[in-house]
Amino acid sequence: MSTRTWHDLGDPGDLDGFVAFLAEGGIVEPGDPMPDEYRREVFRFIELHANSELMGGLTERDWIPKAPGLRRKMAIIAKTQDEIGHAHLLYMVASDMGVKTRDQMLTDLFAGRSRFHNVFHYAAVTWADQVAIAYLVDAAALISQQAVLKVCSYGPYRRILKRIVAEEGFHMRHGEEMLLTFAEGTEIQRRMFQEALDRWWLPALQLFGPDSKPDDELITFRIKSEPNEVLRDRWVQKYAPLLTGYGFTVPDPDLRHDPDTGRWEIGEIDWSHLKATLANAGPDSARRIGDAARHWADTAWVRDALERTSARAA
Amino acid sequence: MRTYEVFLKREGKDEFRHAGSLDAATPELALVLARENYARRAEGRLMWVVDRADILTADESFLAPNVDRPHRHNDGALVAARRRAQRESS
Repeated sequence: MSTRTWHDLGDPGDLDGFVAFLAEGGIVEPGDPMPDEYRREVFRFIELHANSELMGGLTERDWIPKAPGLRRKMAIIAKTQDEIGHAHLLYMVASDMGVKTRDQMLTDLFAGRSRFHNVFHYAAVTWADQVAIAYLVDAAALISQQAVLKVCSYGPYRRILKRIVAEEGFHMRHGEEMLLTFAEGTEIQRRMFQEALDRWWLPALQLFGPDSKPDDELITFRIKSEPNEVLRDRWVQKYAPLLTGYGFTVPDPDLRHDPDTGRWEIGEIDWSHLKATLANAGPDSARRIGDAARHWADTAWVRDALERTSARAA
Repeated sequence: MRTYEVFLKREGKDEFRHAGSLDAATPELALVLARENYARRAEGRLMWVVDRADILTADESFLAPNVDRPHRHNDGALVAARRRAQRESS
């Protein structure tokens, strides 16, 4: 039997031993005596992911009443349920790490004290923005999540990610189908998507974050398998030609296709936008956090009713 | 709220597998939440939802006595070696 668990090896203070255990493909389970650094970093990562699914789901929700046609409305309802469901699963995994309860995580999120992905700090202006998000942002999220799934050392996160990645695949196809409608549509529709692309290209590109530091703890702890710049480049190589192929213009004047290497080279990235979103000071941050907090408060009566049912049943 | 663990069994020969956990106010709601979170696209044909507090857990120290029991395995190495020796001598 070759499966060792950290539980056998046992000393949470032995960080080097723990890192070596992870490097051999070791998997950590919630009851294992993991080093504090690992618990803290992995928890932060999962909390960020959970918050992002919730904030992303709420973005979708805004568009349910405005979705063009019943079929798209049903698809976007399903997608919203998926995203809120992902948040639900991730908050369970995160709270089992024993750092914060789910209530604490939500309280922190609504108070603007925690982080969620940069892309959910911008306003979705038209339905085409929603399509750009479904196509470009979901693709970026999927690339990041696949890279985590490749090595993910934390057992419960790994298992839940499998399910999330499968569902994000549906969202991608949904996004691409809607993009095709725009690409093959009227001049007004094509212009609408181009404007959305102008707004969303950079935020989606920045979802991967700046280049990873050489000693990135999340790579050492086998949560991320590849540095941010590699994932970002994978996304560029795939989506720059797809968008150009549909006849849209990528809003990067320095973007060029190198005929010798066959690669797409992008221009210098302005990171100031990302920094603002990290401080919850993006263009739409305040409204989004306020809306999320209001939704939570507005639905308190449902939770209260459930609690009362639960008390009566006991 | 109580925490429940969800298990799903696919159509066919697979066993029940752990799918994840959830918090629910009542057993009835636990079933509904389990369906909506873990079987959204018919990922299972049967589902078990179990209150986490009702699960008996044994850790590695309890299971340890059965780790070192080579006599319960037979990797066939001795037989293989013998056959190889016979082949090479013939």
